[in-house]
Amino acid sequence: MSTAKAKVAKAKTKKVLNVLITYCILIVVAFVFFFPCLWLILASFSKSGSIYSFDGFFPTEYGLNAFDALFNDTVMYNYPRWFFNTLFIAVMSCILGTVLTILTAYCMSRFRFKSRKAMMKTTLVLGMFPSFMGTIAVYIMMTQFNLINQHWGLILIYSAQAPMGYMVQKGFFDTVPYSIDEAARIDGASNMTVFFKIILPMSKPILVYTALTAFTWPWSDFILPKMLLIDKDLYTVAVGLMSLGETEFARFAAGSIFIAIPIIVLYFCLVKYMINGMAAGAVKE
Amino acid sequence: MRRTLTALISHIVLVVALIVTVGVLGVVAANVETTRNEKFTGVLEHNVTLRILENDTAKEQGYLKELLDAFNAEYAEYGIKAVDANMDQYTDLEKGGPFGYGPDVLYQANDALMKYVDGKHILPLPVEKLECADQVEDAAWNAYRATVGNDTYTLGVPVNIQQPLLYYRADLLPDNWEEEWDDDKNGVPDMIENWTDLYRFSQSIRASSGGTKYGYMKSLNDGYFASGYFLSYGGYVFGNGGRDTTDVGFSKGDGYKGAKIIRQLASVMNLECTEDTITRNSYSRMAQGTYFATMTTPDVYTMFVKEMVNAGYTQEYALENIKTVDVPRLPVSGDLEDESEGFKDMTVMGGVNGYAISSYTKAPNAALAFVNFATSYKMIGRRAALLGISPARKDVATELGGLNETINENLAGGTIYVMPSVRALAQVWTPLQTFCAKIADDVLTGKNMLVTDDALKSGLMNVDKQIYDAIHTLGGS
Amino acid sequence: MNVATKSKNFFKSIPDRIKKLPKKFAAKFAGAKEIITQGNGRVSASMIVMGLGQLLYRQWAKGFMFLFIQAAFIVYAVLTGASDLFGFFTLGTSESDAWYGVKGDNSVVMLIMGILAILIIILYVVMYIANIKDVYRTQCAIDTLKTPIGFKKEVGALLDKSFHKTALALPVIGVCVFSILPIVFMILIAFTNYGGDVVPPALVDWVGLANFGKILSLGQFAPTFFKIFGWNMLWAVLATAINYFAGLGLALLLNKKCVKGKAIWRAFPILAYAIPGFITLLGFKFMFSYGGPINYYIQQAGGEAVGFLGLDAKWTARLIGLGVNAWISIPSTMLLATGILSNINTDLYEAARVDGASAWKQFVKITLPYVLFATTPVLISQFIGNFNNFGIFYFLRGGLYADGYFLASDTDLLINWLYNMSIDNNYYSIGAAISLVIFVITSAISLAVYVLSPSYKQEETFR
Repeated sequence: MSTAKAKVAKAKTKKVLNVLITYCILIVVAFVFFFPCLWLILASFSKSGSIYSFDGFFPTEYGLNAFDALFNDTVMYNYPRWFFNTLFIAVMSCILGTVLTILTAYCMSRFRFKSRKAMMKTTLVLGMFPSFMGTIAVYIMMTQFNLINQHWGLILIYSAQAPMGYMVQKGFFDTVPYSIDEAARIDGASNMTVFFKIILPMSKPILVYTALTAFTWPWSDFILPKMLLIDKDLYTVAVGLMSLGETEFARFAAGSIFIAIPIIVLYFCLVKYMINGMAAGAVKE
Repeated sequence: MRRTLTALISHIVLVVALIVTVGVLGVVAANVETTRNEKFTGVLEHNVTLRILENDTAKEQGYLKELLDAFNAEYAEYGIKAVDANMDQYTDLEKGGPFGYGPDVLYQANDALMKYVDGKHILPLPVEKLECADQVEDAAWNAYRATVGNDTYTLGVPVNIQQPLLYYRADLLPDNWEEEWDDDKNGVPDMIENWTDLYRFSQSIRASSGGTKYGYMKSLNDGYFASGYFLSYGGYVFGNGGRDTTDVGFSKGDGYKGAKIIRQLASVMNLECTEDTITRNSYSRMAQGTYFATMTTPDVYTMFVKEMVNAGYTQEYALENIKTVDVPRLPVSGDLEDESEGFKDMTVMGGVNGYAISSYTKAPNAALAFVNFATSYKMIGRRAALLGISPARKDVATELGGLNETINENLAGGTIYVMPSVRALAQVWTPLQTFCAKIADDVLTGKNMLVTDDALKSGLMNVDKQIYDAIHTLGGS
Repeated sequence: MNVATKSKNFFKSIPDRIKKLPKKFAAKFAGAKEIITQGNGRVSASMIVMGLGQLLYRQWAKGFMFLFIQAAFIVYAVLTGASDLFGFFTLGTSESDAWYGVKGDNSVVMLIMGILAILIIILYVVMYIANIKDVYRTQCAIDTLKTPIGFKKEVGALLDKSFHKTALALPVIGVCVFSILPIVFMILIAFTNYGGDVVPPALVDWVGLANFGKILSLGQFAPTFFKIFGWNMLWAVLATAINYFAGLGLALLLNKKCVKGKAIWRAFPILAYAIPGFITLLGFKFMFSYGGPINYYIQQAGGEAVGFLGLDAKWTARLIGLGVNAWISIPSTMLLATGILSNINTDLYEAARVDGASAWKQFVKITLPYVLFATTPVLISQFIGNFNNFGIFYFLRGGLYADGYFLASDTDLLINWLYNMSIDNNYYSIGAAISLVIFVITSAISLAVYVLSPSYKQEETFR
């Protein structure tokens, strides 16, 4: 009896230890990721604005000057305007890009057609090309299409290039059991119905992942808008922040925090879809 | 079978024939000589809008608005309207201009503007017709002259001269400087007159504060400012007046003496001088009184004042005590501890900012009228008053006097080395700043590998070689 | 079967495959031969003018659609297509002179529009062939006394049997124009003299393999190339491994049953993910600089300032680079892994638990193969992304040349080196040639890995 008790006790301590270690690691991880962000947040509340009047990581005096300047001093740096420009571009590119990527991935995973393997290899290989010179081509094409200095030009590029990264989503669809489709097809559903009514609702985790990446890329991209937007009133936040004077660190930090907020909000809205294991349930039924 | 084959082949033939005919016609049409039109006819275009690209400071301080309003009022009768181009101040005309997205008139530094000459992106100007023609120093005009084919053209109009200045805190001078630090009794503290005394003063500040305060501080790896030390002793960037990129000359003359000066200056600083930290923190550190002096361009004066106010001083106190002077004189010996051979003026790298007109403007004559207006006595005077620039117009400079006159003299006298206007300049900085950082690092970490003249000489020669390689390895045929 | 035998078999099969080629070819052309020999008058009509045969069969909708494509192509060819195609070969014949308002040719625009014209011609050929096949199909149906498939039914098929054609049309066009065309442009640039002084309005010319000859003749390249290449490979492997396993580990940790408040814990990495990369990089650069907070505390504690990213900081700078890269990339890997883990079949674990398998064994036997299978392509693309990671060392340690390196620092990756040499000088053509060489090396490696990987070979495993 006592040995059994000891065993139970041992298992219990082991379990407690396990939980303890898990939480220790989590706290360390949280700290590593949170601290630089905290630093940025604190910096944005610094009164003097210069990062060189800090004591190490912490400002000597706190104030809201940076936020005040960010939203009210808009003659040179029209941050509110840039913010909405970026939001518009990112939302549109996110919607279009997600649709195109998911469609591509689904077709590549579920259909077997002649040029399929060739297409897969081509996209994989071409994705490896160091692309910094290709931007010249993109720029010149946009001049020919009269899409320079327009937000729709950027949206077009972001959504058109998004399907190149379909591999992740294809990987996901590959793991969705084929039996689900077959069952539905026997019931007389067309391929489109199967996709929209059955596969899509099951794919929320990957949809969320795709949408998040499709949103964050235009949201924080710097190279394309810098190249294609000329008028300062059309700038995105990333381009605008880079043009900020070097002594205005607090304002820079404040601007960066506001860039982060929509992504965090988006995350909290979507997080529940990512965690539910829906496919597991579907197979059992 | 014959029927299908004929049909197939005839379709192919038809399509190919169509493409070939249209294509050949296109090539022929492209080769028809088009007429060459002189752009500056003297007749103002009516009802046009000019997009003016100015720098951010002009915008921030309200000068641009004043300029545009004044111009628009004067030219309202022609329907000519000048507006802010609202673009990045460093916008590359070569990128957007040919496609119709550039500004009509640009204000940039001479090296930026003259880069556009290669592709004929900016227009040669009939400058003799401008009001400022005789008022601007020939050396300043020279920064905007270029030879294309067999002729020499002037492609820009100088507005102001940029050179590094010494900024210092007047209230941090020792109380007894008139007795202790004014050997020549000219009423000017020695430490802002020559580098030897600035170096000595820095040593004394460091000693008396226990190493917490500094005298002169500057990121020594900043090639734009550090190059002055080499240029002062006979070094140069490119040969043939900055045009021959196969002749890189930092090590030429006694250029290595500049390296010695950098070595000595580093010894009164800290390791932050090997990176760009000091360039960034000098505003607030000067305000805190941690640094006594630094060197930078004239256009950032307001930033020092702003930081002083942030640090709790009044605006008046700040304006009174943040002083700018011409860069100090260097010892001829190339040794800050040896003033036996006397002093010489320091040569610094500088530039001439000005206006140019885009070749892609639809209204060149109106644009020229704008440039003439913006460089008039009145507007340059306003510009100097609002932005604190050193005007290239001698009449305005003389009227303002002081430093403004000195800077004009420096340009005429050749102690401002005008930045070469070639694209290859971009390759100069990395080798140069690596070497300067290495010298400073060598002193401050006590490695002492770069002590002898020979070591410094060969180091500089390596810099020249690296710059040459960077420019010519891939381009050479 | 291990990788070595796999690849051995692959190479063994090559001669066989070559022998089969003519047969494969013949098979491909059998269909064409059949149409040419058997096609009737209406097929010939469609061969001359697209859609004509369909119209003769009274298939109005389809006929007019093809006719419209035919007309559109002719209009395009006359308006710009033909001259664009010619421009591709000439790259311009008359130089423009902006001083006198002389409008000439812009070689780079001509090159790009030329590529676009070729793409459109290829598209036209595909449509043309589809047009012939379609009318022949109708002919066969009528010959065998069946009713030909109606237009409505065909549209219906596009939503069912040929759903992939409908769904892929837009993505394929988009990717062709905005991803593939720029890459083709870059590849072609390697065969021109574009760059240096030869930028528009100067006219660019085709120079064949001259740029590659130039690379071979540059002896001083070799030592630096191999040094940087070695570090680049090491960097790519380490960075990918760290990001991948740390991201996966984090996802597994957060999936544990005992962890309460998962959403909150997961939010911390998301925070890092939400801040744009360039801001992070500038922040970290400052943090590790001589004047930054870390050195501030070191000095407060009485220590000497450390040049984490300074001149001699080869390995510390490299490690910091790896760390910062991990900080930036782990959150997205974690997100991905979370998404994939949520889809794993929980029955497998239950079965394993019944069999008494330990947690570690469950991980090695179930989780890892499953995740690896789903993410091999991602792993490869992450490897490539890291291999060509320009930003990290450009921001953290730019503006530095190291001793013993030719115009590069000891932390630079190949792409940084390339940038140093080509962009500042505008040496586009030679830069493109070098990147082509690098590209051939990396793509060969990754393609081999991909083709031999289980997720390519056994796509059906988890079905």
